[in-house]
Amino acid sequence: MFNLFSILFCLSLLYLSVTSRLNAYISVLRIQGILLTLLLLFHSIGHFSVLTLILPLTLFTIKVILVPRYIKKIIFDLEIKRTIESSMRQFSFLLLVLFSMAVIFFVSNSLSKSVKIDIIPFASGFSSVVIGLFVIMLRKKLIVHVIGFLVMENGIFLFGSALSFKIPLMIELGALLDVFVVVFLMGIALNKISSTFSGFDITELRRLKD
Amino acid sequence: MGFIMILVLSPLFSGIVNKQKNFFTGRIGAPVLQPYYELFKLFKKETLHAKTASFISRITPLVHFTAILSAAAVLPVGFSAPLISFEGDIILFAYLLSLSRFFQILAAMDIGSSFEGMGASREASFAVFVEPIFFFTLGSIAFITGLTSISSIYDSIVLNNISYLVFIFVCSISFFILAVTECSRMPVDDPNTHLELTMIHEVMILDNSGFDLFLYHYSSSIKLFIFVILETSFFGSLGGGNRVLEIGIFILIVFFLSTALAFVETVTARFKMKNIPQYLLFATAIGVLNLLIFTFTQ
Repeated sequence: MFNLFSILFCLSLLYLSVTSRLNAYISVLRIQGILLTLLLLFHSIGHFSVLTLILPLTLFTIKVILVPRYIKKIIFDLEIKRTIESSMRQFSFLLLVLFSMAVIFFVSNSLSKSVKIDIIPFASGFSSVVIGLFVIMLRKKLIVHVIGFLVMENGIFLFGSALSFKIPLMIELGALLDVFVVVFLMGIALNKISSTFSGFDITELRRLKD
Repeated sequence: MGFIMILVLSPLFSGIVNKQKNFFTGRIGAPVLQPYYELFKLFKKETLHAKTASFISRITPLVHFTAILSAAAVLPVGFSAPLISFEGDIILFAYLLSLSRFFQILAAMDIGSSFEGMGASREASFAVFVEPIFFFTLGSIAFITGLTSISSIYDSIVLNNISYLVFIFVCSISFFILAVTECSRMPVDDPNTHLELTMIHEVMILDNSGFDLFLYHYSSSIKLFIFVILETSFFGSLGGGNRVLEIGIFILIVFFLSTALAFVETVTARFKMKNIPQYLLFATAIGVLNLLIFTFTQ
């Protein structure tokens, strides 16, 4: 079951690298949030208690409801165009993603011989981090960078769940709060930038350097 | 038995898809048996050839039809064994489909119309991306099981294993994209526009008439049904040897697929030509992902 969610997670990453719509990016964020919640719920099936429900519920509220809605609000308020702009062709981007995924799977396979990890969730988390980085590197719009950051964060979450030892509840909750605050701050920063510059392109920001 | 079923039922499937498409758009639409009437009408008509056409365009419809028929003969139809089956027929299957496409492209160039040449060039460039999809989906199962005959590959699938279910789910997505591209349906090609500039497949048969056009239309409906069967055969083992149950499951899945196809065709618009390669690469990427996952979970 664990593998199933990780594979669906990988599929969402592939979709992320092929689509060119902002709305699709947001739905990918939602899907990933749902997958992570389901994953946590399946984790706690053996030892069910109210405490084990706290993390999935918080995750669901933040990653599926609050953050996507907030990003949508920013897009609507700032009248950002619906397409993402890329400094690389989508086709080459997908090839790059595919290649790095293959490398990551091979690396985690050789890693699993020395460290105790589940290969599939580990590799999907790892690829999510890398693809989030690619999104930040190769897309031009600022709001897409925020989404890339969130994809990275999702990857780290999956990554953590693939490790054999358990991360304490408080730390996980703290990380979630951090993510929410970061997205919030980024939204405010975007608003400020929009009042100074008309576009939301990183090429515009070059003018800021001294 | 399975082969005869493909021959008889393939136009019916196109009819069902059209009827459902009409249902989704709120129209009454043509009767389900309409493809049969149209095929019969074309069958009766006289065949005309362009003056510039050489013998290539004369033999192509037959070669196209025969290649697709032979590809259909290799397939197991859920509950019955294929007509022909031997080691390595998965390669034969893929290349029979390519052969039919190759001759169609050749014939389109042969006639000498610039529109058809354009269609041929598009078809050829997309065909490059289509083949890896097939080999990374069905080929990856062949790689994992070590079998190279389509019917034994399908026999080896056991549905009680969860990783096989995931695998089939992921495979189904790429098969769907493959079917849509091979049969030139909605997100890739729009056969209904009849504007030479926007068509890929239909533009190549603009100059054909009568019996030749009958062969083309009949073989394209068989081709669509072939892909439907490729998908349904995954679930052949669900029946557990009970013939009635197997046929019931078969009908259910075929109906489900036709609904999915009709729904996708209703809600999507045709992609821009330059976006199609990345759509097809997406399907290949899914296949690669499948292969990666399977190599590391075994």
